This record gives sequence, C-alpha cells and structure tokens, in this order.
Amino acid sequence: MSAEDTGRRNLEARLRGLLGGMDASAGFEARVMQRVSMLAVAPREDLRVQFERRRELRRRRLRREVWMNGMTTLGLGACAAALLWRFAPEIQRLAANSASLIDPGLLAVGTLAALGAGVWLLISRARG
Amino acid sequence: MPADNAISELIQAGRAEAAFEQLVPAFRRRVFGLAYSLLRDRGAAEDVAQEVFVKLWQALPRYDGRAQLSTWIYAITRNTAISAMRRRRRSVSMSDPAVFEEVESRGAASEAGLDDAALWRNVGALPDKQRQAVILYYQEDRPVEEVAAMMGLPVNTVKTHLHRARASLAAALAGAGEEVA
Repeated sequence: MSAEDTGRRNLEARLRGLLGGMDASAGFEARVMQRVSMLAVAPREDLRVQFERRRELRRRRLRREVWMNGMTTLGLGACAAALLWRFAPEIQRLAANSASLIDPGLLAVGTLAALGAGVWLLISRARG
Repeated sequence: MPADNAISELIQAGRAEAAFEQLVPAFRRRVFGLAYSLLRDRGAAEDVAQEVFVKLWQALPRYDGRAQLSTWIYAITRNTAISAMRRRRRSVSMSDPAVFEEVESRGAASEAGLDDAALWRNVGALPDKQRQAVILYYQEDRPVEEVAAMMGLPVNTVKTHLHRARASLAAALAGAGEEVA
C-alpha cells in the first residue's frame, strides 16, 4: 500500500470520526410528533371557524337582498300608484277606447302574458 | 432503500399516518444532514428538519408516487433550507460554533481532538458543494449515488467534488504540519 493510499485512508477515517455521529438532538422525533399532533387539531378548528364566518356572511347578504327586494317592490308599487293617480282620466279614456278597438280576448291574453313575464322575472331574480 | 419502498406503499395505500411514523426515523439523519450541510448551523438545521417533517405531514396525502420518495423529500429539504438561509440573511460563518466548541473541548483532553478541530476548520473552509458532499458522504458512509440524489447533482459531479475536497483537506492539513500521507 502506497503512502498516498495510507494518507487517504487516514483522512477518511478521521472524516468518518468527525462527521459520523452527526444527528439531530435527542427527542427530535418526539418534538416532530408533538408539532404534527397540534397541527392535526388546528385545521379542524380553522375549518369550523371559516365555515361559521362564511355562513354568517351569507346570512347577512340574504338579509340585505330581502330588504332591497322589499324596498324595490314598495318603490315600484308607489310609483305605479302615483302614475295611476296622476293619469287616471287618461287611462280611463284609453281603456274605454281600447276596449272598443281591441278584441277583449286578445287583451286578456296580453295582460296575462305581461303578468307571467313579470312573475318569471321576479322568480329568476330571487333564485340568482 | 427497502424502508423507503415500504413507506411509499403505505402512502399509496392511503395510510399516511402509519407512513409518517416510519418516515421520521427513516429520514431523520438524512434530512438533518442535508440541512446541516447547507446551513452549517446545528440549531438552524434542526429547525429546518422540523419544518421539513411538518411539511411532509401536510403533503404526504398528496404524494402520488411519480417521483421517488427520497428524491421528493430531499427536494423539500433543499428548498426549505435555502429559504431558511435567505430568511436569516446573515453571513455564514466558516464553521458551526456549537460543533466547533464540542470538537475543541475534546481537543483540550487529547492531541487527536486538536487535530479534529483543525480538520473541522478545513472542512468548513471548503467550497460549498465540496463541503456538502463531504458532510453527506461521511455522515453515514452513504453511497455516492445517494449523496448525488440528496444534493440534486449528477453522480460524477459529486465524485469530482469529493475528490477535490479530499485533496484540499490533505493539502491543508499537510501545510499545517500534520502527517496526512
């Protein structure tokens, strides 16, 4: 065996002696398990809090929408009433004229179609 | 490694908790060694190793087995250690004070200990990749192939780093008057 080989073996032995025992400190695994067990509980609690927060936000949004819809309906109703009050003679005259001009059956179908469209619009808005 | 395959099979079978219980002891030294080889600080390496295992716990159910388990863990360890290095933003010392003190205190009792302190200083003074290769190779007498997987480098590159590191160490110790050859 050459001197170079001996030197290399000597150096390698010393490096093994120096670095061979390198490891994490005692209790490392227990600490990891402790952290992980804490994590296993934390997400469940987080999820519950998130779920509650989302439910509360949804509840508030629905309450706001109900109020807005109510006010819109009330406003439209008031406007319609005001218009009827304001233009009552004209409307009366128009109705009397159109009754003589338009077929009553066609008028009924038209009125029903307009009502249906309005109801459908309200329902689709409430669902959306 | 057979243990790695057994852990992979447990994960694939959806038994992540059982897999994790086997994974920690199987990878503790490898993860710590890799973190230490990058950070050169025992405390920081241990913090990183803890962080890695917590990440693994969270990510384990999503491991799909496409990459080898060890390769996946080494990549997480390297990334976590590099992030820790960036966070610390400090100039890394030539050697870990905790280990250096331990080696020096041994040196007070024996001449061999003094030699160890000199050797430790020289290992710390090696270029990053060479130092990493030396620490990972001699920590557990690992095959070069595994050191290469840990470092994310080709096997021949690691062999070159090891060869150069040994030559540098031998020259440094010979220069300091120690008998190497």
